[in-house]
Amino acid sequence: MLIYIINRLLQLIPIVFILTIVVFCFVQALPGDIIDTLADQESSVDPEVRAALEKEFGLDQPLYVQYGYWLGDLLQGDFGNSLVTRRPVATELLERIPATIYLAGVGIGLSLIIAIPLGTIAAVRRNTPVDYAAQVTSLLGISIPEFWFALLAILLFALHLGWFPSSGYVGPGENLGLSIWYLVIPAIAIGFRQAAYTTRLTRSSMLDEINKDYVNTARSLGLPERKVVYKYTLRNALIPTVTISGLQFANLLGGTVVLETIFSWPGIGLTIYQAIQLRDYPVIQAGVLFLGFKVVVINLLVDVMYRYLNPRVGLN
Amino acid sequence: MAPDSQLAARQRVDVVAADETAFRIKTRRFAAAVSNGWSELLKSRTATIGAFLIAILLAIVIFAQAIATHDPVKSNYRERLAPPSAEHYFGTDKFGRDIFSRVIVGGQRTVLISIAAVIFGMTIGIPIGILSGFFGGRFDKIVMRITDGFLAFPGLLLYLLIVTVAREYKLQGFWNDAILVFALGFAFWPEVARLSRSAALVEAKKEYVEAAKAIGEWRLSIAMGQILPNCVSPLIVNATVRLGFMILIIAALSFLGLGTPPPTPDWGSDLRAAQDHMEKVPLIAVFPGAAICFSVLAFNLFGDGLRDILDPRLAER
Repeated sequence: MLIYIINRLLQLIPIVFILTIVVFCFVQALPGDIIDTLADQESSVDPEVRAALEKEFGLDQPLYVQYGYWLGDLLQGDFGNSLVTRRPVATELLERIPATIYLAGVGIGLSLIIAIPLGTIAAVRRNTPVDYAAQVTSLLGISIPEFWFALLAILLFALHLGWFPSSGYVGPGENLGLSIWYLVIPAIAIGFRQAAYTTRLTRSSMLDEINKDYVNTARSLGLPERKVVYKYTLRNALIPTVTISGLQFANLLGGTVVLETIFSWPGIGLTIYQAIQLRDYPVIQAGVLFLGFKVVVINLLVDVMYRYLNPRVGLN
Repeated sequence: MAPDSQLAARQRVDVVAADETAFRIKTRRFAAAVSNGWSELLKSRTATIGAFLIAILLAIVIFAQAIATHDPVKSNYRERLAPPSAEHYFGTDKFGRDIFSRVIVGGQRTVLISIAAVIFGMTIGIPIGILSGFFGGRFDKIVMRITDGFLAFPGLLLYLLIVTVAREYKLQGFWNDAILVFALGFAFWPEVARLSRSAALVEAKKEYVEAAKAIGEWRLSIAMGQILPNCVSPLIVNATVRLGFMILIIAALSFLGLGTPPPTPDWGSDLRAAQDHMEKVPLIAVFPGAAICFSVLAFNLFGDGLRDILDPRLAER
């Protein structure tokens, strides 16, 4: 197992290397540069000022040199400075991570609270109205675009009822009550969709489990059905649910670009979206690299976990 | 004739006969499948409803211009933000444009792009996956390593980047959409390749493949002519579910302002525009979203039902 993991980690190196090249090329493919953006695009920049600025940002070097410098700095943990705020990109992104973790964590937690009971009941009472209701709701949940659901939630809870603010963010460290007040609608928007996935997953793994021999044995021993279901079956059925939810959480750490934009939630997704709008190259590069790296690591985790849970799958 | 060549000839006849039988069984099965297809489909309520909704969606997409009651881009400042009425079924937006007509016409681009993108992704992914699973060995290893590399790319961000680049070059209309098809399809093919490879791995060990090899059929035609048709079912389910997913992504990109420019009706960008006025007229934020939801639901229902039919183990649930 250890050898397998080391092997997979070594395989990551070329993938991450290619990722850096692609990200670098993409950003270079954008026409115009930060100097145009800074100069408001309308007026052309004085050539001397432009030359000076190009020198400051290293834009006067050939591309492969720019790439080499960039990669060398990356390896030292230096992602460059944001062209807009002139602050280190690493700091800029790291500052945004807590907001994203906060939202993702509460969203996933909320989805588990809804989905586990719902999925279990749906499986235990299969083909009853309860099951159909759970199935239809979860199917709707995965079909609703998250931004539309977010808009409807804003309409109802913020604009119509006026219970919660429609957008904005307050850190939980500053003022916990206020922070939660701002969190409610975004967390519902994330939680609902996740809950829909998780309900379907819990239901099907519960159904898988409930037909197994040990469940019949437990029943034939005369254990009460409640105990069979909730003590033995559910515990096993929750393994995939918890695994997938963990991965979904990791996935959400990239920030949900759309939701963070709607709610002006200062997380990773909003940062990258704004950087793309402003052509802030270093931030785009670091952000997309961060996301790509995250996906690579998640894939690795999935593979390792899959082999751990399923020893029959070979390690090669 | 020498005994061993006689033997070889007889064996060959046997093999051909076996292959013919297999072929006949296969064609009969195929014919039966086609004729049973519809009744089989009707057995699953989920698939039936899904197929029905998809039929409605496609009819709306094809006949959109005929169904629309007004010109979807014509403004009318005397009727701004009007409530639903007999004249305007869904009311009007901030420019007095008919929302019903915009919703009807607005789906065309989204649905067509997602269909094109799925086809594009499958055209790349299926041959790669089938050949990789069929040939195996070092070829398989290298191809799958490359596929994994592509799988590692982050989805929405990749689309954001590509679409932003396209927008910066002032690409509009057809070329902008073509780039989006490329981006979506390109992000989709690794998944298709993986799926068709695992199906091909199973099929490649079956007897009909041995038979085809024994009579010396060209490898490539075994892979694409015989293995591929037997791998179709998981691919169809995957494509159906993926169509719904594509619609969600395209709508999200338009919502972020990276779709078609304003006057053209489009579900995602209409929702974006509706944001500013939904406090006064909540309904304008409802209709385009409901249309997206309807389309995605149609494909998800159909995909779910199809999976139950094609995978009997799951159907028992």
